[in-house]
Amino acid sequence: MALRRSISLLSALIISLAWAPAARAHPHVWVSMRSQVVFTENGLIKGIGLDWTFDDAYTSMALDGLDSDGDGVYSPAEIAPLTKENIESLKGYEYFTAMRFNDGKQPIGDVTEYGQTWSKDGLALHFIVPLKTPLDPTKGEFSYKIYDPEFFVAIDYVDKDPVAVSGNMPQQCQLVVKPVPTEADLEQTRLMLSTKGTDWKPENNEDFGALFAQPVLIQCQH
Amino acid sequence: MPALIRVWLLLIALAIAVLTIGPPAMAQQAGDAPAAVTIDKRKLLVQPRNADGTVQQVSIFEDPVLWARDLQQTFYGQMSGALRNVRHNSSFAATWTLLLLSFAYGIFHAAGPGHGKAVISAWLLATENDLRRGIVISLMSALIQALTAITVVSVLLLLVASAGATARNVAGVLESASYGLIGLMGLYLIWTALRGLMPVPASAHHFDSFQPLQNHQHHEHGPDCGHAHVPAAAEVKGDWSLAKAFSLAFAVGIRPCTGAILVLIFANALGLYWAGIASTFAMAIGTFITVSAIAAMAVYAKKFALRFASQDDRWINWLGFGLRLGGGAVIAFLGTILFLGSLGSSNTMM
Repeated sequence: MALRRSISLLSALIISLAWAPAARAHPHVWVSMRSQVVFTENGLIKGIGLDWTFDDAYTSMALDGLDSDGDGVYSPAEIAPLTKENIESLKGYEYFTAMRFNDGKQPIGDVTEYGQTWSKDGLALHFIVPLKTPLDPTKGEFSYKIYDPEFFVAIDYVDKDPVAVSGNMPQQCQLVVKPVPTEADLEQTRLMLSTKGTDWKPENNEDFGALFAQPVLIQCQH
Repeated sequence: MPALIRVWLLLIALAIAVLTIGPPAMAQQAGDAPAAVTIDKRKLLVQPRNADGTVQQVSIFEDPVLWARDLQQTFYGQMSGALRNVRHNSSFAATWTLLLLSFAYGIFHAAGPGHGKAVISAWLLATENDLRRGIVISLMSALIQALTAITVVSVLLLLVASAGATARNVAGVLESASYGLIGLMGLYLIWTALRGLMPVPASAHHFDSFQPLQNHQHHEHGPDCGHAHVPAAAEVKGDWSLAKAFSLAFAVGIRPCTGAILVLIFANALGLYWAGIASTFAMAIGTFITVSAIAAMAVYAKKFALRFASQDDRWINWLGFGLRLGGGAVIAFLGTILFLGSLGSSNTMM
C-alpha cells in the first residue's frame, strides 16, 4: 500500500528531524488492519474497535514455544499470556490510536475488551480502544488515525472493507474514509517539510507519523 | 612505552568512573516479578513503557541481547538530547556531557557483537604476547574506525546534500569490505602457520638421520642437544611489524560504527559538525578501552599458557603452531560468515 512506499521518505525524515527513534525507523512488524467505530445504544461514540492480523514473521516469532500441549494448535488459552502482555505494553503507546474531536485530541481509557485468535490465516488481535468519555458525533467532527509514530510497526488497512461501524450510528451521520496518501501526496509532504526548519512541528499537536496515516471520519449533518 | 600503559590504565579508571557514575539509564533496572507464563519481551509488539513515557529496561539477566539493544537505544536518545543541549546552551557543561556520553557509548557498544574484538584477540592470541602491541592495535583500529565514519559522512555531506540513507548504504559496503579483509587476514595467518611448519619436519628428518632409529628413546635433552630448529619463545612472540599491525587495524576499523554515523549526521543537521566529530573521537576512545581490555586478556591468557609450556621447547613449538592455525581459522571463519551475512542485510545491529 501507499503507506509502505513512504518507508524511505519517512526514514530519511525521522533521521533528520527526530533522531532518537532512528534505530527503529523501518518497520519490523507489519499489521493488516480493519477498524470499526463503536457506537453505544444511544448513538454516542464509545471507541474504536481494531482487528490486527500480523505478518508471518512476527506471528511465528511470537508464537514460538507457546504451543504448550504440542497439538499444533495455538488455543486462546495458550496465547492468552502473549495477548495480555501485548495489550498491556500497547497502553504506553496509547494503542497507536489517536482520536480527535474538532481537532482536539481525546483522552482514551484502558482497553478491557480484547482477544487474540490463531488460525491458518495468521494471528489476529482484536481490541476496543475506549474513549474516556463517550462523544456525541452530532456535536462536531470525530476523526481517528491508527499508526505507530516511530514506524516500528507498519499498520495498513486491508483493501476490502477496511472500516465499518458497529452499534447505533445516528441517521444523519456517515462514515468517511480518506484515501490512502498517494505518491504525489507524499512528494508534496516531503517538499513542504524541506522548507521547514528542524524545530517545525505539524499542526494541531500531531506528530510526524500522523502526516502519513490514513484518517477516518464520522461526519454528521447538523 | 610504559607511558602508553600508564595512559591506558588511566583511561580504564576513567571508564569505570563513567560507567559507575554514568548515565541514569544504566542504573534503573526494575526487577519485575515473573508471571506464571513468562513471555519473552522480544515477542511483544512494543516494549512496555513506564508511567513517564520512557521504555522499561529489560534486566541484563532476563535477556542480555534485548538489554543491550535497549541500552543502545537509550544512548542514542541521550546523545541526541545532549547535542540539542549543546546547540541551545552552547555551554561547556553540555559539551562535556555529550563527550562523556559518547565515551560511555563507545565502551558499551564495543562490548556488543562486531567491532573486531574477536578478531583482534584471536590475532593476538596467535601471534603476540606483548600487551603494548595489543594496546597499539586496539588504539589504531578504534581511531581508523572513527576516521572512516568522519570521512564517509563528510564526503557524502560534501557530495550529496542529504547524507541520511546514503551514508548507511556506504557504511554497509564498508562493513562487507571489512569482513572480507578480516577473512583474508585469517587466511594469511593460516598460511604463516603452515609456512612455519615446513622447515620443522625437514630439519627433524635431518636430525633423525644423524641418529639411528633405535636411539630415539634415549634422546637426551642436554644443553647441547641441538634443538636449534625449534623456534625460541622470542620467535613465537611473533612477526611484529607496524605494517602488519596496521593491516589488521585497517581491516577491522574500516567498518564505521553506525552510532558515530548517526551522531555525525544529526550533529550536521543541527549545524554542530565539530561536536559530532568530537563525539566520534570520544566514542573511539571508549571503544579502544573495551577492545584493549579484551586484548589484554588474550595476551595474558597466552602468557599464562606459555609459562606452563616453557619447560619444553617442543610443546611451545606446537602451541605456537596450534594457536596460529586455530586463530587463523577462527578469524577466517568469522570474516567469512560476517561477510556473507553483511551481503544480505545492511547494518542491522548498530
